[in-house]
Amino acid sequence: MKNFLFLLTVVFTLTLSAQDTVKVAALTDPNLQAEQDYNNGLAALNKKEYAVAVDFFTKCVTVKTTFDKAFSNRAIAYVQLKNSEAAIADINTALKLNPINADNYFNKALIYYAFNKKDSTTSSLDQCLKIKADHQEANYYKGLILFEDADYKEAILYYSKAIDANPNYVFAINDRAAAKREMKDYAGAIADYNKAVSIDDKQFFIYNNLGSTYRLNKEFPKAIEAYSKALQIKPDYLLALNNRGAANFDNNNLKAASADFESVLSKDPKNSGAYNNLASIALKNKDYKKAKDLSTKAIDLDAKNGAAFYNRGIAKQMLREEEGCCTDWKKALELGVTGAKLFINSTCN
Amino acid sequence: MKKLITLFLIAIIPSFIISQEVTWDKDNFPGKKEEFKNARKQLDIGTEFYSQGRGEFDDFKKAYLSTNKMMPMSHHDYRMSGITNFRDALAPLNTAYAFNPKDGRLNYMLGFIWWVSDPANPQTLKHLEAANQLHPNVENDLNYWLAWTYHLNSKWDEAITKYKEHLTFLSQKAKSNALEIEDVNKKIDECNNGKKLSATPERVFVDNLGPNINTSFPEYGPAITADEETIMYTARRDNTTGGKKDEGDNKYFEDVYVSTKLNGKWQPAKLLSKNVNTESHDAVAGLSPDGSKLYIYRDLSSDNGDLYETVLFGADWEPPVHMNKNINTKKYHENTVSLSFDSRQLYFVSNKESGLGGSDIYVCELDPKGEWGVSKNIGPDINTKYSEDGVFMHPDGVTMYFSSKGHNTMGGYDIFKSTLVNGKWGKPENLGYPINGPDDDVFFVVSGSGNRGYFASAKTGGYGDQDIYKITFLGPEKQPLLNTQDQLLALAANPVSNLKTENAVEIKAAKVTILKGVITDAKTNQPLEASIELVDNDKNQVIATFKSNSSSGKYLVTLPSGKNYGIAVKRDGYLFHSENFNLPDNADFQEYNKDVALKKIEVGSTIVLKNIFFDFDKATIRPESANELERLIKLLNENPTIKIELGSHTDSKGSDDYNMKLSDSRSKSVVDYLIGKGIAAARLTAKGYGETKPIDTNETDAGRQNNRRTEFKITEK
Repeated sequence: MKNFLFLLTVVFTLTLSAQDTVKVAALTDPNLQAEQDYNNGLAALNKKEYAVAVDFFTKCVTVKTTFDKAFSNRAIAYVQLKNSEAAIADINTALKLNPINADNYFNKALIYYAFNKKDSTTSSLDQCLKIKADHQEANYYKGLILFEDADYKEAILYYSKAIDANPNYVFAINDRAAAKREMKDYAGAIADYNKAVSIDDKQFFIYNNLGSTYRLNKEFPKAIEAYSKALQIKPDYLLALNNRGAANFDNNNLKAASADFESVLSKDPKNSGAYNNLASIALKNKDYKKAKDLSTKAIDLDAKNGAAFYNRGIAKQMLREEEGCCTDWKKALELGVTGAKLFINSTCN
Repeated sequence: MKKLITLFLIAIIPSFIISQEVTWDKDNFPGKKEEFKNARKQLDIGTEFYSQGRGEFDDFKKAYLSTNKMMPMSHHDYRMSGITNFRDALAPLNTAYAFNPKDGRLNYMLGFIWWVSDPANPQTLKHLEAANQLHPNVENDLNYWLAWTYHLNSKWDEAITKYKEHLTFLSQKAKSNALEIEDVNKKIDECNNGKKLSATPERVFVDNLGPNINTSFPEYGPAITADEETIMYTARRDNTTGGKKDEGDNKYFEDVYVSTKLNGKWQPAKLLSKNVNTESHDAVAGLSPDGSKLYIYRDLSSDNGDLYETVLFGADWEPPVHMNKNINTKKYHENTVSLSFDSRQLYFVSNKESGLGGSDIYVCELDPKGEWGVSKNIGPDINTKYSEDGVFMHPDGVTMYFSSKGHNTMGGYDIFKSTLVNGKWGKPENLGYPINGPDDDVFFVVSGSGNRGYFASAKTGGYGDQDIYKITFLGPEKQPLLNTQDQLLALAANPVSNLKTENAVEIKAAKVTILKGVITDAKTNQPLEASIELVDNDKNQVIATFKSNSSSGKYLVTLPSGKNYGIAVKRDGYLFHSENFNLPDNADFQEYNKDVALKKIEVGSTIVLKNIFFDFDKATIRPESANELERLIKLLNENPTIKIELGSHTDSKGSDDYNMKLSDSRSKSVVDYLIGKGIAAARLTAKGYGETKPIDTNETDAGRQNNRRTEFKITEK
């Protein structure tokens, strides 16, 4: 009986709800709907729901066929979906509809960059900069591409323009420092890194880069300090932990270096670099057997670790394994360790 | 006082015990009469042999001094003078030593004998140190030989101390020999050189070439081809050609041996061709880089040792040819040859008088006839007043290796290297320790690559006597390579995160007013289904018609902003209900709840006509009122029997009289309109109420607006 009454109540409630439905008079304008679709698409894009975003933008442009913003945003969604053709088609449509939109040229450049078409990237960036010479991101990316092409001098010019447009553009300052570093202007690089962290002291990777530049400039205590700062911000930043070990090594504090490398391994037991770095300490201590074993471990974890082949060659030479040392040095050279050439010439001929 | 004496005794007793010599007095050996007698006899025998040997040694030294105007600089210079007698002395003296090891003089003799035959042997240092402890003044040259033994054992500080003590002795001697003083001072310099050089040893591997090359017999004087595939060297083995020994030193005559590499390993060495090796001394003096010309040293009694050249013809060596007079001399000693890489220059060593002192290095140029031209001393940058030997020109054409007892040697000959720059030899560089040591280091050859060298040494750990060793130059300590990594570029990993999205658009038509409520019967409160007419008052057009829910009476209407809406709720049998919503363009979203209680068409029912509009302060009906008036007309037409009163009301603003007049005019305007539309005048009554019947407060705008109204009331049905 109770169950029956319960069911009856449910049915009655549902019926009431159904009957309670009122006809809602809504006045709709197709253009307004299209705009709503656009906004919905944008919301989906921001939530990284790219397929959903594409659908919304598609609905939008079906009605608003000349809405360049929708084409531009849809292009972005297509990039994320790795559909290069559609992305490029859309951004070109956006540009056709609005040829003086610098941001669209910028987006086009980035789309091409994402799909590894560097020449088109550069020309799009140039077009963007023609419209808006102080477009900070376009200048930044010009600098980035030049950096990647090892044209560091020119890269610095463009990074500087980006920074002029936005003096707090921390990433541009970082990258400019990197270019200076590549040109061995360590003082200039250090100044830039310090500027960057003074603007944003939470960027651990910049502290790491600063540390490495100090290290290149043989200012080891400062390098150690900078790496430590990176680690304070992000304690599991193994890159900086390993690098600090290297700075300790250079500073002849082998105990501290060893502790750092061991710490890396405790968090990442398959870290080839850390094993190789421990091998370096063993070489310094003239424990050649240990050095050989550690560098072998490094190689087992990463067969492309040229430094490990190099170190193992040194260990093998001291252990009088002459054939082995030559094989390892040749491999190291093959993997890009140019310093091995001298050893090969002096020992393996 | 007692304490002082005790302390004194404690201090001197240990030294007294250690240094107490035991003289050969039978009282010192109680109960050992026979043994003492025998040991004493052996001592005498040994001493006799020793004295003879010592006599030869000292005579040799005098002759050397006279000839060379300098003291013998290395152990080898003494040529083991007196060795036969010294060897004969050894056994009896050892017997005497076994009985009485604490005889200072006995220790001195044994130490000296060992020094002459093998200074590196531990016996040498053991006996000389014992002599020094037991009887420091046993011989006035003890310090010298002890110093030199320390020197030869690389005990630099001890050697310097003893050299200085001997120097003190020499300087106090009535007739001091300037050459002896010079010799000791030089040896002190050598010890300082040794100390400095051995503090930073060269990084090398030193490897014995193994049993296929070395034996218990002496092997030395290596020469290699530039590619290190062939080695030739001198050895004094029992399979020497003729099988005889040199009576002078009782060692087998020198012969030349050769070995080649197979799969990187030296094959067992063989005697070189019989064309080269004779029953006398045949020693390697040099080899051309390509291995096709071999230079031999032969020591015929008539020429003091000369150089010969032999050429490889096919598989055999031609009989060696005596080199010309520009190289060889009758009176002097020529040894060691090295050809330049282009075979246009020949370097050799000679002790001819025209040199700077001792042996010097000379060079000859090949003349247009293919003969070696007049030799030229290569000058004081290389040659010193001491001897140079063992010249080797590297195939690179600019590096010369040579041995010298001058420059900064650490003792005897050391191996040096000099580089020819703009025709001038650079400052010779000592190859360092352990390539060089405190004894003679000569005859060093280097591979074409420069990575390895070969030399002979009597170091311990070999197969016996001198052996040939290979040196591998390791160069400076190789610095290990660390793995490091940076995140150099900020955004390289994720460029698409920088894509610029267009902003959201403001959707302009989103402003609406929602009107909702429940329609009921005014009397019974029962929900009613009624039609709701939506009118655009400005256009006088019905926009839409909806119905309320038949069951609940609920309705909901959305009114987009920007219009003046008239809303009429209608149902047959009921008076229509009128509402007005004048929504400007910028009217924000709002929600109105308006329940409508419909009144039946009955006498007394009153309806406010909210959509009747007049011009301001006038009775002129505005066009927007048309629909409302049409509804009224329709009602009157559908209910032809009803009579109505059109009442017009004002708010309280203005005077009563004015308001009364205005409202009166307005009601009459409506009536006139209706009459104009065919409604019988008898059915209509116009009445102005002014502000006398407010339905809301006059204190607010909204209230005053409500009070400003036109109503109709059913007066008769």
